[in-house]
Amino acid sequence: MKKECVAMLLAGGQGSRLYALTSHVAKPAVPFGGKFRIIDFPLSNCANSGIDTVGVLTQYRPLELNSYIGSGQPWDLDRADGGVHILPPYMREGDQGTWYKGTANAIYQNIGFLDMYDPEYVVILSGDHIYKMDYSKMVDHHKRVGAACTISVLEVTMEEAKRFGIMNVDEQDMIYEFEEKPPQPKSNLASMGIYVFTWSKLRAYLIADEEDPNSSNDFGKNIIPDMLAAGEKMAAYRFHGYWKDVGTIDSLWDANMDMLAPRTSIDLYDPSWPIYARTPIKPPHFTGPESRISHSLVSGGSNIYGTVENSILFHSVTVEEGAEVRYSILMPGVTVKAGAKIEYSIIAENAVIEVNACVGTPPDGTDPDWGVAVVAGGVTVGENAVVTAHAMVRDDVKGGERV
Amino acid sequence: MNDLHGIIFAYHSLRNLGDLTNHRNTCSVPYGSRYRLIDFMLSNMVNAGVSDIGLIVHENYQSLLDHVGSGKDWDLSRKHGGLRILPPFSTSERTQGEYRGNMDALVGVSSYLRNIRQDYVVLAWGDLAINFSLEEAFAQHLETQSDITVVCTNNRWGAPEVCQYLKTDGSGRVTDIIINPSQVPDGLESLEIYILSKSLLLSLVEECATHDMHSFSRGALLPRLNTLKITPYLYDGYVGRFHSVRNYFVRSMDLLKEDVRRDVFDPNSPVRTKDRFDPSTYYGPDSRCHNSLIADGCVIEGEVENSILFRGVVVEKGAKVSNCVLMQGTVIGADANVSYAVADKNVRIGEKRTLTGQETYPIAIPKNTAV
Repeated sequence: MKKECVAMLLAGGQGSRLYALTSHVAKPAVPFGGKFRIIDFPLSNCANSGIDTVGVLTQYRPLELNSYIGSGQPWDLDRADGGVHILPPYMREGDQGTWYKGTANAIYQNIGFLDMYDPEYVVILSGDHIYKMDYSKMVDHHKRVGAACTISVLEVTMEEAKRFGIMNVDEQDMIYEFEEKPPQPKSNLASMGIYVFTWSKLRAYLIADEEDPNSSNDFGKNIIPDMLAAGEKMAAYRFHGYWKDVGTIDSLWDANMDMLAPRTSIDLYDPSWPIYARTPIKPPHFTGPESRISHSLVSGGSNIYGTVENSILFHSVTVEEGAEVRYSILMPGVTVKAGAKIEYSIIAENAVIEVNACVGTPPDGTDPDWGVAVVAGGVTVGENAVVTAHAMVRDDVKGGERV
Repeated sequence: MNDLHGIIFAYHSLRNLGDLTNHRNTCSVPYGSRYRLIDFMLSNMVNAGVSDIGLIVHENYQSLLDHVGSGKDWDLSRKHGGLRILPPFSTSERTQGEYRGNMDALVGVSSYLRNIRQDYVVLAWGDLAINFSLEEAFAQHLETQSDITVVCTNNRWGAPEVCQYLKTDGSGRVTDIIINPSQVPDGLESLEIYILSKSLLLSLVEECATHDMHSFSRGALLPRLNTLKITPYLYDGYVGRFHSVRNYFVRSMDLLKEDVRRDVFDPNSPVRTKDRFDPSTYYGPDSRCHNSLIADGCVIEGEVENSILFRGVVVEKGAKVSNCVLMQGTVIGADANVSYAVADKNVRIGEKRTLTGQETYPIAIPKNTAV
């Protein structure tokens, strides 16, 4: 069952900077863009790129992610030969077995899985980026330049470059230096955390890295610098298009809002590169006689009687009469009762915002602590309660209370 | 409920549905924003735990096959049992030409019937928009120890000339069946959904075949009102029956009523349908959308009211759509004005066009038409 190319998707991250949104699920399983979860993007990219064998490395809160991926059928990854495989850490004879210590260690622990398919190339992906990309073109590039490792890079502004891992390249776009978050960046090519390795090379470096007790077993911190130091051929692969890391509340909110402007972000309606998702069975949505919906995404099973502007609504959301939702993300099953007002907020699954409650406020430019308000899944915000901007609500808010 | 086998009659194309059934079987007529009529009966059965279903088809079933596929969207793609498509496969003369009635259809697939592994069978038409508890009906069948249970309603949903009505005695037993009368009689409207044992079904099929009786109600029920215990199961929820374009239009608009949606889209018994990858529906900055049922994957930049939009419909800027049913992939061009129309799949209405039907006579626009 030899495969030319196998993808390994790192989906074990806790996503602690998403706070309340990842208290029950792993970051890749966080809902995104009305019908999707974050992991749908790399999985659909794999399917569309013709990669039919994908290992999904899970560790933190895997239940929902596992059942979401299931047989891989929504992504056409339910294959007799290959397909999608969930790879949790496991015990081995002799030693005790460990959790995945770092991104490189996660792949190291699954050398056995990769050897089963004996691929020429391994594509390493992470489960927290929103983008469309044809990995087969990147693999072609890798082959053409004869690299041991190819890293996908994005051109960012010099100011932004200080927050990324930056690749310094020669005229042929071959990497000669890698700097993590440089205060004085020499280049504006930021690593997107997408790597193609020649498997035989990577395999050797993973084994060597594991033997180093001082290593943090991380691709960015260890494997890439080690390979550079050893003089391996490392290529940068320039990606042009929309790409967003959704590791923080603000970037998650931003990226969702970007979906309202498909011309400058991702066209979710483009049939040539569909993003697939596992969606529950829901009837069509209903817009009431007095509803007012503008510049928004609305999904199946929802009932909209109030006002919705500049917002993303997932399935089974109810917005009652007189309720107002602006610049917000309402995840599946959220109920907004009559007269409630939600602005600049992320409301997680099945939360209930009671009558006349207020969540979030628009930025006024003066408050340095302003930010998007977040209400965690299943929480009830009581009647007339107020959730202020930048609040992170994990427990029920009593009626009339202000948090 | 693994003791019940489903048989769905999906062999007919009602001609008076006009252009809606030109390309397709009545069971694959789109309905309710994202469904085909067949979805309802398939879902009723699957939601009641029926795991094996035979779908009797005869002609014009290309679009139906395309829709149900292997049955996986209904969890009916199984190694053992699951969904079986049943074109005529007996070699008798009877299967040449159309089936003359549902008994004819059963005779046509009689070898399949003999191999059913369940003790009971439910027979139903595949073109009713109904969400009822088959589980309850089956429980009643067993409890009352009836020979045949008929699902029926006290309300009136169909035109009398295409419906059957049941008269019952004080004990609730069916004493008479009135078939296709010219006027609506008293009694119960039959939905022609029957539950009976496999052994009884086989003997009825055998007897009707040898006497050339081609209707289940005329051949199997009428002559046996005294010898078999035939019991109605009463369902009082919504039923969509379709026999004209006008009636299709009215039944579609019924879905804009909350109580009808509560019946038809009961979240505890979801209606399953073919899965497509559709993103959410996008509403543009100047859109208006009132009192409408909208599927996923639409782009609405104009105004929509009192309408049913299927998946992937586009309403461009300045366009006005009112009292319409727009099926999958319809595009309403900028500043066009459409009212009281039923647009079939992939219809394109050009910019600034006006199309106006009447409430009593909605216009039907055939599939793939460009106006």
